[in-house]
Amino acid sequence: MAKSRSLFISPLSLLRPTGDAFLYIFALLFIFSLLLHHLSAAAAHPHFEGFDADDDDLPLEDSNHEQVVPPLRSPPPPISLSTSTPESHHGPPESQIQPDRNPSSNPVKSPSTASFEYWDEDEFEGIPQDLVPPPESEVKQESSESSTGGDSDLGHLGNTEDSNKSDVRFPKKLSYYTVEILCVSFLIMFTVNYFTGKRENENLALAWASKFAAKDSIFEKNFSLLGVGETDDSPLLLQEGQNVFKFYASGRRFCSGLLATMELKSRHDLISKLYNMVVPCKDEITFEVYMNDDAMDQVIFALARKKLAKTMQKEMKDLQRFAGLVAPPSGRKWVTEELQVVSESKEVAGDLINDVVLDQVFGEKAFEKFGKLFISMHFSDQQSGSSKKILVFKFALPDANHMVDMTRLVALVPYYIDLVGRYKLSLHARTKTEAARAKVAQEIYKEIQNARQEALQKKKADQRKKLEEAEAKLSAEALRKKEAKEHFRQMKKAMPKIKMSRSG
Amino acid sequence: MSSQSNDPRQPSAVRPYKPQLVAPQDLPVDYSGFIAVIFGVLGAMFRYKVCSWLAIIFCAQSLANMRNFENDLKQISMAMM
Repeated sequence: MAKSRSLFISPLSLLRPTGDAFLYIFALLFIFSLLLHHLSAAAAHPHFEGFDADDDDLPLEDSNHEQVVPPLRSPPPPISLSTSTPESHHGPPESQIQPDRNPSSNPVKSPSTASFEYWDEDEFEGIPQDLVPPPESEVKQESSESSTGGDSDLGHLGNTEDSNKSDVRFPKKLSYYTVEILCVSFLIMFTVNYFTGKRENENLALAWASKFAAKDSIFEKNFSLLGVGETDDSPLLLQEGQNVFKFYASGRRFCSGLLATMELKSRHDLISKLYNMVVPCKDEITFEVYMNDDAMDQVIFALARKKLAKTMQKEMKDLQRFAGLVAPPSGRKWVTEELQVVSESKEVAGDLINDVVLDQVFGEKAFEKFGKLFISMHFSDQQSGSSKKILVFKFALPDANHMVDMTRLVALVPYYIDLVGRYKLSLHARTKTEAARAKVAQEIYKEIQNARQEALQKKKADQRKKLEEAEAKLSAEALRKKEAKEHFRQMKKAMPKIKMSRSG
Repeated sequence: MSSQSNDPRQPSAVRPYKPQLVAPQDLPVDYSGFIAVIFGVLGAMFRYKVCSWLAIIFCAQSLANMRNFENDLKQISMAMM
């Protein structure tokens, strides 16, 4: 088992060993570079142009407070100044504002002039001294007024100011970062989910392959070449993307090959995974059997659950053209009521749904037990595409531990290959099908002819247009030439005719 | 199910696998890549952080959903940028 596993794994790992590592490294590098960039950007924010003296002002501020506290209780500070400047500059403008408030009080003026040295007076030109106080400075005033003692006031003020500052900075930093934090955590979760989902999908595919494509399995017994590649040692599964796996088998009578495509849920993609939690999705496996030209007679047949059968009959071209829904005939066993048959002729349908199949899978009792994973079945010899004659089986995949549930359904595949390969239509049915096909072939031929004629006509019309345009261009010149010619002719006529006779 | 007495295998009828080549235009539409580009442009134009981050997320999704035969390391790095 270990050996066979390595056989399977080697192709899978071969296909993308370095790519995944690269992807991972790239993603991480990118995330880290972004983080660093944003961190540095955030750190630089508090420093605004022209206000480099932020740090220098802090000690000054404290010293100012000592002298400025009494004036605080009198006229309110002008707010427009503090609100116009950014929040981090709570301190310096206020320390400036306070001296501004009391131009009359002389003892205040000297410290205020000292503070002015640090602040460009011109910055605050033209702003009136008395302005409506802001609510926060009012609150501050009240809080400062309620507490007694200058020192305690100072301490309180200083504390509130400082704590305000730090409070202002911290929430800004955190709130500034929420988007980044959310998105980076999502990306990390995405990367983790990518790898776990990928591994889960691979395990599921390998479980299927080990059950049905390994030694002594059903496909091994039916086909001589298994897998993608030339020799016997070729890898069994081809991984096309993180949730699509293909299995190929060839070398059997009646058919030229079989291609099984496993389309699993997008477990590796977090967004699709979340979407699939809301909109249900199934792991599916589709068998396409390419029949030989001489092996398949004119059969158009489909079997699916009721709703799906109706959609298939409307959407698929060959079913639409040739086939119709077949009601369960009386007098014989038929498929369970959940299923609907779509067929060109009832006879053919009856022949294809024989007792064996009914007992095994499609009958009432059997379907309850074994038919849960069945999705649809479609045989056609008029399929559009490269190969005309194919059988298509679609089943749902169980999870890795319950692969046994699918055995009967998978066994249907070779059974039907043989059945359809050997089947010959009765005369009665054949005449009908032949007639229908001939009609459709004629219609197609007519359509092609029409299309060709239209193309020709278009070409002619285009050519004519071109000629006309050319004529229109040349008409001016042509007119002149014509006139010249006519003039010349008239001249000739006017001139006396000189008869010339030949001598000799 | 019913077993055949003779071996159904025909080694002479073996045909090697030919992967179906799909032209780049026929490939299923890469919605997540498209959305990623739109969000990226919006984010750059309107300076919305959320848009740029969403663009990155959708770009990652489109990369994750890429199929093998489309792969090229250059393409990946260009897409990330």
